[in-house]
Amino acid sequence: MIFSPVAVLLLAASAVQASVLTLQSPKFVVTDALGSQLRAEPFSLVHRTGTPVKLEAKDTLKITFQVVDKEDGKGVQPHQTFIRFFDPSTGEEGIQPIRVTGGGKAKFELNPSKPPLYLPPTSTEPLKVSLIIGTPNYDPITVRLFDLILPASQPAPTHPDEASFHVRPELHHTFRPDQKLPPKAVSLFFAGLTFAPWVVLIGLWSQVTPRLTHLFSPSILPFILSLVAFESLLLTYWVKLRLGEVLLYGAGLGLVTIFTGRQALSSISSLRKD
Amino acid sequence: MFGFRRWCLLALSAASLLCVDAKSSTGDSVLVVVDPNNQDKYSLFFDGLKDSGYKLTFRSPKAEKPVVIADDVPNFDHVILLAPEARNLGKDITPQSIVQLLSLKTNVIVTLPTKQSPLHSLAAEFGLILPPPGSPLISYFPQRDTPSSLIPIPVEDHSSPALTKHIEPVWFSGIPQALSTNPLLIPILRAPAESFASETLVTSGSADALVESAEKGGEGLWAGSSLSAVTGFQATNGARIAFVGGAEVFSDELAQKEVAPYVKSGNADFSREVAAWTFQENLVLRIDGVEHHLAHENTTVAKEQYTNNDNVVFSAYVSKWDAKQGRWEPYSGLKDLQLEFTMLDPFIRTALPPVRATPGKYSTTFRAPDRHGVFKFIIDYKRKGWTSLQSSTTIPVVPPRHDGYPRFLSAAWPYYAGAISTSVAFLLFSTAWLAGEARDRSSRKAKGSKAE
Repeated sequence: MIFSPVAVLLLAASAVQASVLTLQSPKFVVTDALGSQLRAEPFSLVHRTGTPVKLEAKDTLKITFQVVDKEDGKGVQPHQTFIRFFDPSTGEEGIQPIRVTGGGKAKFELNPSKPPLYLPPTSTEPLKVSLIIGTPNYDPITVRLFDLILPASQPAPTHPDEASFHVRPELHHTFRPDQKLPPKAVSLFFAGLTFAPWVVLIGLWSQVTPRLTHLFSPSILPFILSLVAFESLLLTYWVKLRLGEVLLYGAGLGLVTIFTGRQALSSISSLRKD
Repeated sequence: MFGFRRWCLLALSAASLLCVDAKSSTGDSVLVVVDPNNQDKYSLFFDGLKDSGYKLTFRSPKAEKPVVIADDVPNFDHVILLAPEARNLGKDITPQSIVQLLSLKTNVIVTLPTKQSPLHSLAAEFGLILPPPGSPLISYFPQRDTPSSLIPIPVEDHSSPALTKHIEPVWFSGIPQALSTNPLLIPILRAPAESFASETLVTSGSADALVESAEKGGEGLWAGSSLSAVTGFQATNGARIAFVGGAEVFSDELAQKEVAPYVKSGNADFSREVAAWTFQENLVLRIDGVEHHLAHENTTVAKEQYTNNDNVVFSAYVSKWDAKQGRWEPYSGLKDLQLEFTMLDPFIRTALPPVRATPGKYSTTFRAPDRHGVFKFIIDYKRKGWTSLQSSTTIPVVPPRHDGYPRFLSAAWPYYAGAISTSVAFLLFSTAWLAGEARDRSSRKAKGSKAE
């Protein structure tokens, strides 16, 4: 029997009379591309089909049933007969109304080779398929039917800015590798090589000792000391001073050296004239 | 008697001034556009706002004043449009002016009408796809006495960042919105899985109409939990707008209706939470300051420029608006703040963890790249529902100076040995020459005397 043609205004409180709907001859069939049946089972509103239904790329899933009033067995065309595909891991959902005739006969077909737009993208978990039937004046039905495993699909499209609303991957800079130095033993060896002339000099000096008779005379020692001071200024410049500072100290030291030098060299020349 | 009532009212208003519940961070003045005949229907909602310290100004949809924007300056901090049945809301409230309000940092709550209205085109601008006019959200689940267009929607904890506390199921009546993928959209209340949008008049052709609208492809069918009943949108400048599918969510009648025996609905709490999020009470952050300095020094004085391969310490101070106390408090709860060190492209992106000792301080140490150039410390933190944090500090990174390179390398030891040997040898030679005896003095004397 067709659902009552009298329009029911939903804004009025609906009647308490709760009639019950039920499904007559509910079954689903999985056929492959050649038409042979892979799986044909009835499904029930009371308990869920245990094994998941697996669909390959060329298979077809057909679901058929008839919605009838439980008491008088007459067919009913409900307002809402939806099949819902839900992926709990990603929260994606797809809902499709099932075409139901006036007598309550319903038929639904799914072919993954022509995927409809409402199918959610697949993930690692199977899709949970449920049936939702609702209509005024009857108890609503929502029931889990079975799990569905589809061939893998592209992921859901995301907005290009979506990534900036989550933690982004860390970036590290690859630095140039540290300068490689030759081993210290090699440096020590060659530094030792540069001391070879000293060996020669000390050897020769052991034969011919220079006599430093005027070393501590007051006219010569200051000049020697200022020469030593100049060399130590140079060493300090190498270690820690800057150009401006060394020029300043150098200027002062140079002035001192002029006087001590004149004194020393004149005393030596006078010594030599004798 | 009259005097006593007056005295009671005075005492109550004084008390309400003292016990301000939650304050907004951007201001207290609210314009409510509502039909004066319906104003009493929402008295609980308005009283809740007034108790929290908001100053409400009511305006009828037909009235022209008070104007929302005058001379490009907004007159109010927040606006509630609660008149969905009005054909137009006044000359100064149009979709363009509402967008301008948002760009002027005024927050708006918009209730959408079921019939066609300019607000539908406003919602479309924000990425909301609305069902055809005259098809509100209906659901036959759960089985109940109320009409199918009045739906109790259970609210899961943490289902939306905008809802900060537990809320009982909410009675909803209105239109659903399908959401685009725009990440600035924040669904506040999702429609239940068994609900769908349809005309309220169910005839024999309704079921076929549903099937045909779905087969039209694309957005033909509004159904399921991907729909949203109340949606928020946070603009890039921080202003927030909430689209509510129907004005009855705020009404007193639904606030006092029971969802289960002896359990009142969560409508009052939900309306307050929607207002709290939209009016910048909850989930509002700001950066108080940033600083940077070299790692190995004890000072925290910022340098004007850094050198390649320096170890730099960067710190940011973040506060959150505490609505109950009405002030900004340092907030260390951001677990995934990131810092980018950028010159045209990010060179370095690291996490900025909170520092235990100082509340609100986030700090990290990293090594400046060995490319020189003008870099920026960038914080760009965007999360759904939260204010976005943006900060950019420019800093040059220069190559090392002539004396900034490593010195006294072991490879140079032979050269040091040679140069120092030369200096020492010079000193020894000059000492020997200066201090030594002139050898041929006696022979020269002899030669000189012989020559004479």
